[in-house]
Amino acid sequence: MLKVRIIPILTFNGFGLVKTKKFSNPRMVGNPVQAAKVYNNRGVDELVFIDIFATAQKRKINLKLVADVIKECYMPVAIGGGIETIEDINNLLKIGADKVVIKTKALLDKEFIKEAVAFFGSQCISIAIDAYKTPEGYKIHNKLDIDKSVEEFVQEMIDCKVGEFVLVSIDNDGMMNGFDTELVNYVEQMTNIPVIAVGGGGNMEHYNELFSKTSVQAVGSASIFHFTQYTPLDIKNELKSINIPVRI
Amino acid sequence: MVAIIDYGMGNVASVQKALNLLSVKSIITADHDVIRNSSSILLPGVGSFSQGMENLQERGLIDLLTEEVVAKKKPFLGICLGMQLILEKGNEPHECKGLGWVEGEVVKFELENLNVPHMGWNNIEVQNDTYYKSLPTNDFYFIHSYHVVPANKQDIAATVQYGFDVVASVQKDNIFATQFHPEKSQTAGLSILKTFFDVNA
Repeated sequence: MLKVRIIPILTFNGFGLVKTKKFSNPRMVGNPVQAAKVYNNRGVDELVFIDIFATAQKRKINLKLVADVIKECYMPVAIGGGIETIEDINNLLKIGADKVVIKTKALLDKEFIKEAVAFFGSQCISIAIDAYKTPEGYKIHNKLDIDKSVEEFVQEMIDCKVGEFVLVSIDNDGMMNGFDTELVNYVEQMTNIPVIAVGGGGNMEHYNELFSKTSVQAVGSASIFHFTQYTPLDIKNELKSINIPVRI
Repeated sequence: MVAIIDYGMGNVASVQKALNLLSVKSIITADHDVIRNSSSILLPGVGSFSQGMENLQERGLIDLLTEEVVAKKKPFLGICLGMQLILEKGNEPHECKGLGWVEGEVVKFELENLNVPHMGWNNIEVQNDTYYKSLPTNDFYFIHSYHVVPANKQDIAATVQYGFDVVASVQKDNIFATQFHPEKSQTAGLSILKTFFDVNA
């Protein structure tokens, strides 16, 4: 039976790991290579590493540092931040990334995503959906003043045959007060592409609720691992107790 | 020396990293002489079937690998796309001839209520335990939208439950291959690689 995936998310600012609240107030939380090493030793299911400032600062992700992070990992790793070309993707795969996570370029250029999928295969291309709630429904957060609903964006990416969605609730990011299960269900009913639900995990009940109230197969978290004593294994034990399949 | 075939289809670095950890000597190469002189051949790969065959063809590797693996019976390990390519026929994104070392074809998942790609950790059921002895766990990392359907049941080394019994591994004579990624499956994956290269040392 396929197990649900518990995925630590490392967000990076070009120098060190940071953790935001509602995508603001980045707080330094450590060294990415060290963190990758710890998570590998803990046998986590997968790791996501994103340079959250690369696009805004118009720079490429630091390949040397990414290579050092991946060297510590004997599990799958997805890398994101500032990806704009086929060469960018190729550079990341060559140093051992299994998937890339793309956002801004996907908002700007659907044809590029189609091209990337044709070249590298669906399984390699993950798309970040950074969603926030408005009176007119969920919209995609971006710094380019693109007004796009989550529904429209998800539909476009389904048409591009992408392999995965990293679904982030900006309203819940770093707040540690529970997941937006309404958002997760909203996207899950639109597609059978795997979704990683991100944003809001703060205690065991939150994970229990996420997997009880939605059919999502993966969760991504950062704050709970940075700021509490909980580990990915604690989450798995909690889920096992309500008969959700996990890898222990 | 293990020849890890470099044909422009993704993640060769991770495979070599795993072999390094096991102190298995390897070289990432597409050089014909290096491949001829290697002790065993490892074909990794992610991406589409037809692109994979095209890239092998461009490098003159189809005839060479067939000669080394089928005629000379050199130990062969295929991973993910490297397993799919050894079948006779693929369908990604269109129908395409494969290496044809194992009878059967590669088809897309048609699942009503399950996610595609099949992505994540899933436990396998072992049919042929040559390389699956003393596993620490049965969970391996899968990520694929197409799956292999061998014509002969005896070529199936392991299956995985995902809507039905999906073929997770094949073995035929000197040929062994996995749909999952041993190099990404932590201790369980390393255990298989170790067994394979111990047996074929």
